[in-house]
Amino acid sequence: MADAKKYEYAVNEVPPIGHLLLSAFQHVLIMVVAIGIPIIFAGQLNETPAFTASLVTFSMLASGIGSIIQALRLPYLGSGYLCPNLCGPSYLSLSLSAAWIGGLPLMRGITIVAGLIEMFLAPVIQKMKSIFPIYVVGLVVALVGISIVQISVTSFFGLTFQGDAVRNMDIFIGAVSLFIMVFCNIWGKGFVKIYCLIIGMFSGWILAMILIPEYWQNLLSVQNNPLFAMPHFHSLLQPLSFRVDLLIPLIVIAIGSTLKTFGNLLAAQKMSEPELNEVNFVPIRNGIIADGLATTISGLLGSMAVDTSSSNIGLAGATKVLSRWISVVAGTIFILLAFFPMLTNALSQIPKPVLGASLIFSGCFMICAGLIQMLEDKWDQRKTFVVGIALFFGLSTAFLPSLYARVPKLIQTFFTDPLPTATILAVILNQLFNLDRLFEKIRKRD
Amino acid sequence: MIRLIRSNRMNAFPTLLILLSLLISGCENRYENLDISVYQYRDTKDLVKFVYDASRMIKKDGLKSVEFLKNDRQIHYSPDRYLYIYYMNGVNIYHAGMPHLEGKNLWELKDKNGKKPIQMVIAAIKDQNNPHAWVHYSWWEPGKFYPVPKSSCHFKVTTPEGQEIFVGGGLNYPHEEKEFIRILVDNAAQLIRAKGHDALAEIADPASSYNFRDVKVFAFTPEGKLLISPVMNDSIADFKLMDCVDEMGHKPFAKALNGLKNKDSVWEVFLAKNRYQRTLIKKSLYLRKTYMAGQEIFVGAITDLPQPPG
Repeated sequence: MADAKKYEYAVNEVPPIGHLLLSAFQHVLIMVVAIGIPIIFAGQLNETPAFTASLVTFSMLASGIGSIIQALRLPYLGSGYLCPNLCGPSYLSLSLSAAWIGGLPLMRGITIVAGLIEMFLAPVIQKMKSIFPIYVVGLVVALVGISIVQISVTSFFGLTFQGDAVRNMDIFIGAVSLFIMVFCNIWGKGFVKIYCLIIGMFSGWILAMILIPEYWQNLLSVQNNPLFAMPHFHSLLQPLSFRVDLLIPLIVIAIGSTLKTFGNLLAAQKMSEPELNEVNFVPIRNGIIADGLATTISGLLGSMAVDTSSSNIGLAGATKVLSRWISVVAGTIFILLAFFPMLTNALSQIPKPVLGASLIFSGCFMICAGLIQMLEDKWDQRKTFVVGIALFFGLSTAFLPSLYARVPKLIQTFFTDPLPTATILAVILNQLFNLDRLFEKIRKRD
Repeated sequence: MIRLIRSNRMNAFPTLLILLSLLISGCENRYENLDISVYQYRDTKDLVKFVYDASRMIKKDGLKSVEFLKNDRQIHYSPDRYLYIYYMNGVNIYHAGMPHLEGKNLWELKDKNGKKPIQMVIAAIKDQNNPHAWVHYSWWEPGKFYPVPKSSCHFKVTTPEGQEIFVGGGLNYPHEEKEFIRILVDNAAQLIRAKGHDALAEIADPASSYNFRDVKVFAFTPEGKLLISPVMNDSIADFKLMDCVDEMGHKPFAKALNGLKNKDSVWEVFLAKNRYQRTLIKKSLYLRKTYMAGQEIFVGAITDLPQPPG
């Protein structure tokens, strides 16, 4: 059992109601970032505002349900860690393609199958635990943090579209917000330390409204939304469809998404139960099953696929508030918010630089937790090359996307994103560079 | 003092919020009459505001404000954009980046594609469908020697002295706004309706305002017969638009025509390779219904969609 003194609230502890609600709200503020993804999705399809509103609502419902089942620790379902779900970008491009080709029925179909694939992969990953030594696990956790670099930094600079102008004021707002969060976290005590993110975000939001009237106007525009609205559940009655030619890209993306969830859950475990000497794969397996189930539910509801949130795990690590009940309450708040468009819209008006600052703040903990875990292992040259080569090629997918658009199809299929690329390479290279030791073991056994 | 602060700290936050509301609501919005909601990029919105501000200043202070502008050219000059002012006959009054053009008549000036920017501006100012008088052409940067694509917006001003002038500013390496495509296609549709078959040659002319950078206005019949090809400068090399697919196998023309059954115009998104075929990007097809000699035809153009940052 973890020493509860290491935390403000340990993983199984139930905080007092006030702290429970406020901490959950703090997590909801980060989860709100993901509302932008269904909005982008609907925008790319030139869909109606009604469709967009419905997609946002169902994505919030699916995220809320996913956050709750992830934390509840039911038999074979849920990791039991503070690891909320949100609408992740992993399936965005495939969902778009599906929606273009076959509309909502095909999008729902591929989302459901993606969830089923993830659930199928969960026990496979558990069986493969021998191929994930601690230092590879650390690398995966660090990469989960690295994977949010792009969205964090572009948000920090207030950028909405590629190549657009960056405002000096946005940089200032982002920097002040980040400074306040870090200041409260390092030097704050009690309330200030635990709620450093809320303090930083609201200070940044107020500053943004003073400096850039557009943010104030955006907030005022929420008056046009109804306070309460029931989602249109008629999409549940629509038919489902699937296309076999989308199966291969779907499997590849599902593997990448599963590895990301795997990394997130490893990070959550590392933060929640640091006393474990080796990875406990049972909650990880159950967590991946819960993530797959949440994705399947989102498909049934007609929303986009959901994913575990790296940023929320980082926030939990930063504040040392790791109670899984916060995830349950955050999920419940998210579900309730889905019925209150005015409130959801108000939260989605948080200025991008402020959101970027919050993502950078929480991402720092993910990256450092992974690096610390990685370097805790006794180091040798084999590990240097496993990690080094995996990082070189993994990170190159983010630095050189145009290069990977021209490589042979087989490489293109697997070299998609730093996290899955580096993870797959690290696992393969770890086996390859330790073949001599394996042979030695077999020889001795014989 | 400390005791006073402590005793009143619960009131501090609401007071701050009220003061903030008063401060912000008290600020006058000088862009109330300027609708920039149709633009997606911040660069474009900023340019329109930049030119609008200058036009208001000249409308209020007249031509004497030109002397003020000439005294400090850096105020209206940046590496991405600069201000210029012309008489309606094409004589340059002020140019923030190229002072050597001042006093010259540039009415007949042609860009590398044969477009006459000043004449295009005058036509755009008269066009009610183009509220910010956008024109697209090639120019060059001050002190540089290579062509630069430009999209410029303009405001016509009548000065207190009674002089009619136009104030403009352009973006170097501009973004493609959906609004630019809407203006061109809607104008082309109107021209075809008014002039019939004769309009096709004017629209297809590479030096016309209907063609800029990679954008080309095209036209076809409901059966898919090309009147102006979307890719070539003649329609001899025919191909079946309805069967064309994007990179995902999606048929944007077939879907767009389906949408046009109930509407006059439609936007359809598809996935294409970018300029150097490196990565896939999202593009948008805009189609409008019009009539040529009583027969229904479709006019359209294709533009890039804003890509997510990264």
